[in-house]
Amino acid sequence: MLKIENLHARIAGKEILKGLSLEVNPGEVHAIMGPNGAGKSTLGNVLAGRPGYEVTAGSVSYDGRDLLTLEPEVRAAAGVFLAFQYPVEIPGVNNTYFLRAALNAQRKARGEEELDSMQFLKLVRGKVKDMGMPPDLLNRAVNEGFSGGEKKRNEVFQMALLEPRLAVLDETDSGLDIDALKQVADGVNALRSPDRAFVVITHYQRLLDYIVPDFVHVLSAGRIVESGDATLARELEAHGYAWVREQAHAEAQA
Amino acid sequence: MNAAVTPFVESMQAAAAPLQLPGSGPAWLDDARRTALQAFVERGLPDTRNELWKYTSLRALGQRRHTAGNPDAARREVPLDLLPATSAGAMRIVFVNGAFRADLSALDALPGGVTLQPLSLALLEQPEPLRFLLGAYTNEDDGFTLLNRALAADGVVLRIAAGVRVADPIHVVYIGLASGSMAAWHLRSLVELGAGASVNLVEHHVGQPDAGHLANLVHDVTLRDHARLGWTVVQTAGAEANLVRRSDCRLGDDAELDFHALELGGKLARHELRVDLTGARARFTSRGAFVLHGRQHADTEVLVTHRGRDSVSDSLWRGVADGRARGVMHGRILVLQGADGADGGFYNKNLLLSSDAEIDTRPALEIYADEVKANHGATVGQLDDTMLFYLRSRGIPLDIARRMLVRAFCTVAMEGIAPAPLREHCDTLLSSQLPEVAA
Amino acid sequence: MATQPDEVQAALSRRYTAGFVTDIETDSLPPGLDEGVVRAISARKGEPEWMTEWRLAAYRRWLTMKQPDWAHVNLAPIDYQAISYYSAPKNQPKSLAEVDPKILEAYDKLGVPLHERARLAGVAVDAVFDSVSVATTAREQLSKVGVIFCSMSEAIREHGDLVRQYLGSVVPQGDNFFAALNSAVFSDGSFVFIPKGVRCPMELSTYFRINAGHTGQFERTLIIAEEDAVVSYLEGCTAPMRDNNQLHAAVVELVAMDRANIKYSTVQNWYPGDENGKGGVYNLVTKRGDCRGADSRITWTQVETGSAITWKYPSVILRGDRSVGEFHSVALTNHYQQADTGTKMIHIGRDTKSKIVSKGISAGKSQASYRGLVKVEKGAVNARNHTRCDSILIGKRCSSHTFPYMEIKNPTAIVEHEATTSKISDDQLFYCRSRGIGEEDAVSMIVDGFCKQVFRELPMEFAVEAKKLLEVSLEGAIG
Repeated sequence: MLKIENLHARIAGKEILKGLSLEVNPGEVHAIMGPNGAGKSTLGNVLAGRPGYEVTAGSVSYDGRDLLTLEPEVRAAAGVFLAFQYPVEIPGVNNTYFLRAALNAQRKARGEEELDSMQFLKLVRGKVKDMGMPPDLLNRAVNEGFSGGEKKRNEVFQMALLEPRLAVLDETDSGLDIDALKQVADGVNALRSPDRAFVVITHYQRLLDYIVPDFVHVLSAGRIVESGDATLARELEAHGYAWVREQAHAEAQA
Repeated sequence: MNAAVTPFVESMQAAAAPLQLPGSGPAWLDDARRTALQAFVERGLPDTRNELWKYTSLRALGQRRHTAGNPDAARREVPLDLLPATSAGAMRIVFVNGAFRADLSALDALPGGVTLQPLSLALLEQPEPLRFLLGAYTNEDDGFTLLNRALAADGVVLRIAAGVRVADPIHVVYIGLASGSMAAWHLRSLVELGAGASVNLVEHHVGQPDAGHLANLVHDVTLRDHARLGWTVVQTAGAEANLVRRSDCRLGDDAELDFHALELGGKLARHELRVDLTGARARFTSRGAFVLHGRQHADTEVLVTHRGRDSVSDSLWRGVADGRARGVMHGRILVLQGADGADGGFYNKNLLLSSDAEIDTRPALEIYADEVKANHGATVGQLDDTMLFYLRSRGIPLDIARRMLVRAFCTVAMEGIAPAPLREHCDTLLSSQLPEVAA
Repeated sequence: MATQPDEVQAALSRRYTAGFVTDIETDSLPPGLDEGVVRAISARKGEPEWMTEWRLAAYRRWLTMKQPDWAHVNLAPIDYQAISYYSAPKNQPKSLAEVDPKILEAYDKLGVPLHERARLAGVAVDAVFDSVSVATTAREQLSKVGVIFCSMSEAIREHGDLVRQYLGSVVPQGDNFFAALNSAVFSDGSFVFIPKGVRCPMELSTYFRINAGHTGQFERTLIIAEEDAVVSYLEGCTAPMRDNNQLHAAVVELVAMDRANIKYSTVQNWYPGDENGKGGVYNLVTKRGDCRGADSRITWTQVETGSAITWKYPSVILRGDRSVGEFHSVALTNHYQQADTGTKMIHIGRDTKSKIVSKGISAGKSQASYRGLVKVEKGAVNARNHTRCDSILIGKRCSSHTFPYMEIKNPTAIVEHEATTSKISDDQLFYCRSRGIGEEDAVSMIVDGFCKQVFRELPMEFAVEAKKLLEVSLEGAIG
């Protein structure tokens, strides 16, 4: 589904990703862990097509298409979703309006019929209820005046509504208390299915107690230096990232 | 354009004829002075139709004849308590009623790479390097800069060689003494910092309370790449003084100008500070406050032009007007095409303490580039009642509480003044100037 | 991947949907202006002597004035002798039934409900076609409650005393160059009188349209709300696409007595000229409200998307104690448009309040300036003002300026101004796009959100229209 090969990327002239490779198949959940500055968020942003990130080498294919040449909205329509680390506030733009515009644009791009406002309201109200979101969410402006936790939950809510095939969660756990963390994890777990994949970027192992990954990768200095199953995350928690760096260093020496 | 020839213009014209200005001789200098005088006579003093003078009327000043300079200024005795304590023992250049005073200056122990001398001397010794600056003519001139060009008899020439970082501050002191007649003098100062040079400059304006005069000061400031100038103006001129200042600053790549002003004195105190951020990443910060009472009039114009990419300006000013005073503030941020990444901010808050006082404030943004951030804010209001109440509920009498709050209101303008003794000096001056607010 | 407005700018050009010409017979004065023309206009309209004299006084005043030279507007010199000062459809209708079907059709295309639809929509409409008012609907229903809503010409004939009492009392004849010109040659406009205690039962609306070429439109509107009266008035403006510049110099005067409330909304969509800056309307307007009575309130709301040049500062004189003035504005410029707009709030009475919200959007090679004055006079105890001006720039060649003036003479005043200018946020744009929304839609969504605060002030139908106008006007600005 997603195949990243030897990806090099930089922002403002500074190289962040230095040869990252990763393959994700439908139904899998991959966790990407790593210290601050390792390039975790850069990976998410490059996959979503954020302007300003420059890919200097390597390739990313998604369903056999070259993902890097696609505009952000085309990627979204193709089923790629990024849950932002810092979701932006858009004053004056009503959430319902925004979500309907997004969903219909994606449906239209995929050749599906657009939803009229009644159909959409029914759908979105159902999701609000399922996800335990406050009902006034739909009347508020996009992310405006939301607390940090609310913004993160809203990202997962959008994911549930837009039903992407590949969801990249960029530190969706940071800044959440334990209850919110569980809600976020429940939201993700509810969406897990054989044809949907997740890339969960996180700094802490904590989230992975609730979203159990199939694979765990350690990102350090722009590359994946270690891959394993869920137990790797627990080892990391026990030993810290310095341990990985030592391992990697030893490897390089050998 | 032929303004009515007012008594002021007439007196300046008459004074110019017999005047022997230092450095006269080189044709370019004499010509430039003559041309400027002619232009001044045609144009006259700026009037309120000029947007930059909208709130400062010179009608009264224009009706008064002024003498050119003060003949015995070079010899007059100066009460020693007028000299700012913070400048004692420091590098110092002193002017009394517009005349350089070697006896009060301290120019013997200049570090290597530092040139500090009066303009009169620089013109005698080596006029040629000053040619460009003194001869230049821009269409941004007003009556005062023309007059200054025509009649400037002295000023400061400060040059710091590339790479030289001067540790101790340099003090410039302008003293106004009472002289019987209404005197006008014109000083032109040149400040140039070579690449990577850095220095702190402290400008003092002091004077006797009854010293009525017009001081017309023009500064040309050039900061080459990576240079840094800290410039603090402490203005406690006498109550009858008219101070009209214009400063033109140009900043190269990565150059930095850190400006502070405390405007407390004078009858009319105007400063037009123009900063051209020519270089990439050039940076200008300004902090300032005026506290006015009686019939004082202060007008500060901060005009910033962003020309270089990623240039930054950040200005924060406070104004307090009591009595029948009038405070005028104009902060303009102009971002030219090509100045992508520019970030400009101007914030001005004012306290109006009396029903006969007035505040006119005018922030302005002129933006011709899209990759920019530009913000401004301005407020006029009073002391916060809940804060006042809080202080009083803790037993502080109303008048003291008010003074505390006014002082706190202004302190933001003094943050960052270096060195520390100078900041404390400013704080003391501010406290002594705080209005005796009636309950 | 980054936004490339320049490329796409060239590719797309805006659609001006109101740019059709209606072919009808008109009665026009030949171009030129002198006392004879002023008298001829007055005579054509069958005006009383005092009105003719009033016009002539204004004309003589105008002769002594000079066209202003503004710092941030490039206004080509106007040849005032090349303009026709009067143009009217030939068959002057006596009632709505007699209105030329072609005119009705024109208004139909514009979506103006003139007929029965108007009543159903709950809006009374006065429609001004070129120089004269052609139809005023729902008059009977209004006259039952004592509301007068008619054309200015009719008001001069039928309600001369009222007009004489108030005309020029807010905007004097010699107020400025264009107000003086308007006072001399105004052809028509709307007159509204809401008597004491009456809440006007429906929205009042005027639709202005310039149709004939080489004509100037100089309408004059006067709204008087007596004690405790309430009225909401809307105006819409369109003009056909023409290569030459058309002059529109209107004057609007509002008078609010004790506790009266006037809400004046404008959606201005005059022809802005083509994408190369050719043609378009010069919209040079003087609008002023006088909160003459205590506790009165005047609210100006404007959405300005049209005109080659817009120059207007709807103002409020806060004379009555506790009176309130508001100004809500969206000004969008594209291509070569220039808008210099803002407001003046003059605080005179005690406890007066004013609020200013201005949203500027400039795209293409256009220029948008906010120019505002908040003045607190000595006696204006406890005056309050809050001003918020935000501007966004779309593209590299547009510019945006903010020039607020604050003149405060009373120590109990609290006046606050804040302003920001930036380009449309990359983060917001990317966020929308990453959710699947195309760039152009994302931009209009963000711009619409940016303007929301102002749109909320508009009556519902106008808010919808304003939003659509914004989308159309932005076309060609982004890719």
